[in-house]
Amino acid sequence: MSVLSSEAIDSMDAPVVVKPSRNLSAYWLIAPGVLWMALFLVVPIVMIVYVSFWTQTTFKIEPILTTHSWEAFFASDTYVGALWTTIRIWLIVLFMTLLVGYPTALFVGLFIKNKTLSTALLVLCVIPFWTSFLIRVLAWRPMLGKEGAINIILQALHITSAPIDALLFTELSVIIGMTQIYCVFMVGPIAFMLGRIDPNVIEAARDLGAGFGRIFRTIILPLSMPGVVVGSIFVSVMVLGEFATASALSGRKVNMLGNIIVTQVGSLKWAFASVIGVILTILIGIVVASLLRVVDLKREL
Amino acid sequence: MASGVLQITGLTKRYGATAALDNVNLDIPSDCYVSLLGASGSGKTVLLRVIAGFEEADAGAIVFAGRQMVGVPAFGREIGFVFQNFALFPHLSVYSNIAFGLENRAVGALRDRSELRDRVHAMIALVGLTGLESRGVHQISGGQRQRVALARTLVTEPRLILLDEPLGALDANLRLRMRGELRRIRDRLGVTFLHVTGSEAEALAMGDRVVVLDRGRVGQFDTPDVVFSQPASPAVAKSLNCYNLFGGKIDAGLFIAEDQRFKIAAPKAKSADISYAIRQDAIIIKDSDAEIEPDEDSINARYVASEYTGAAFMYFFRSESGAIIEVENHLSHRAMQNLDVGAQYTLVWKTEHALVFG
Repeated sequence: MSVLSSEAIDSMDAPVVVKPSRNLSAYWLIAPGVLWMALFLVVPIVMIVYVSFWTQTTFKIEPILTTHSWEAFFASDTYVGALWTTIRIWLIVLFMTLLVGYPTALFVGLFIKNKTLSTALLVLCVIPFWTSFLIRVLAWRPMLGKEGAINIILQALHITSAPIDALLFTELSVIIGMTQIYCVFMVGPIAFMLGRIDPNVIEAARDLGAGFGRIFRTIILPLSMPGVVVGSIFVSVMVLGEFATASALSGRKVNMLGNIIVTQVGSLKWAFASVIGVILTILIGIVVASLLRVVDLKREL
Repeated sequence: MASGVLQITGLTKRYGATAALDNVNLDIPSDCYVSLLGASGSGKTVLLRVIAGFEEADAGAIVFAGRQMVGVPAFGREIGFVFQNFALFPHLSVYSNIAFGLENRAVGALRDRSELRDRVHAMIALVGLTGLESRGVHQISGGQRQRVALARTLVTEPRLILLDEPLGALDANLRLRMRGELRRIRDRLGVTFLHVTGSEAEALAMGDRVVVLDRGRVGQFDTPDVVFSQPASPAVAKSLNCYNLFGGKIDAGLFIAEDQRFKIAAPKAKSADISYAIRQDAIIIKDSDAEIEPDEDSINARYVASEYTGAAFMYFFRSESGAIIEVENHLSHRAMQNLDVGAQYTLVWKTEHALVFG
């Protein structure tokens, strides 16, 4: 008996014995996730930040720390311009996807009472995704081109006398293309939130004497805000990192930060590409963090 | 000219081939607690939703406070509605929930902040929610949520409030407390409550008048004691859940139910459905060889099971034809009886206690 210390006797209390083993199994459960995040998220980000301070010469890159690439970025009108272009296109596309997406979601999620039909309509929104991304982007060329569908129709209806050049290979075509491609990511989360609103809640508001405009402003819109925030995060993250739509629909005239990364990597300018990568990551981080401030998602979902 | 606050004439509503409401006629008096009793599928919720304007009737007229209601949207009717699941605005506080109607109604919205505060606070005090104004509606109990739902409707001062099984989402204890509370609040405000329920006890306890709805038709509309002691039809008796009903025919002053013959004492109530009804608590259980008095009737049945309900015992018997007969034995009147399962007993009642429909 003398072998048993007082701690050993304490630890014989059932809850004390069970607790550590439960904690241990919890650690095992999160281990794969932690490992994955460390290897494929934390290490690469640290690496990009590190490489952005390396010394880049025309033919080789050396791990000698310098701020040269950073200075070059902020000294160049082209690159700072690309940053503003990225922000401008992001804001416009975000606004446009909301403008098109919210009413669509309102229709699908709230006005269609039949659950099967509303699911079918949501699937319909996703069908374009069965084709490849590049095909979806390139399909806009015969639509928007000088002799494209829209110009032909406008002229046939005698609305315009000459084809409109500005439709393709401009910022406008990039915005049109991106709005179409990313709209569904806005529709989905909003329709989901709207579908969760108890129809009795809206009936109660009607019964208390409120018209549709009031009900929309005071009930429907606030209750769908988590959907708007999630949709905005989806669209923002994707648009900010975009390069394919911009180059395919602008004829390389519109350069976003993503396009510059592609060119720099293509010419083996790793340090410079890393600088832009870091700037883009920070930008996306700020956008996501500020969107999450709008609504407490943990509470609402 | 009818005097009631709400007149319903010939109201009919169909879903495909089935009629949820079939020629409903009602004249609901003002300043009155009316309970609307019906089994599930009897059309009671549909009737309420049509009156509120959430659904349109196929035929018939609704006149509320002298105004024709057909075609008037729900927000223009000034009829309050309390939902079974309360349907509170989940993102708003208790105060904002109650203030919603006054702030946002299309007609006569209250712009004056201080008047709004006074009226909302007065209502919060009336329903006993003082101190919870800034709580979210998920941070309060079920009974408190019920009060918010009621206050939210009452504060807009409708003359008629429709309550769709308002106590259904509460636990049994709270349900009993809220019964008294609802009646107290209604008495104070002098509005008309139309309270839908599937519970006969709730309907009888709460209503000044009781409407019994049966398969989309009004089976009876009367005071609770009349509905209970003189149900207008076998269907009404059935929905009261306290009568044993026998089908059969009437021949030479006797009611013939399969192999039984019962005497008929009281004048029979008119009904298309010929039935004999005896209340569960009017039956006495005797041994199978017991003597039957001339003013009594009886039926032989086998004892099946019993159920103890606290103040009473429910005994279940099966007659020779296979019908289940329920006997309610109040322990304040009679001692508990020890019966043998499967044995024959004679169930006896006074002929004058039976009701005959035909």
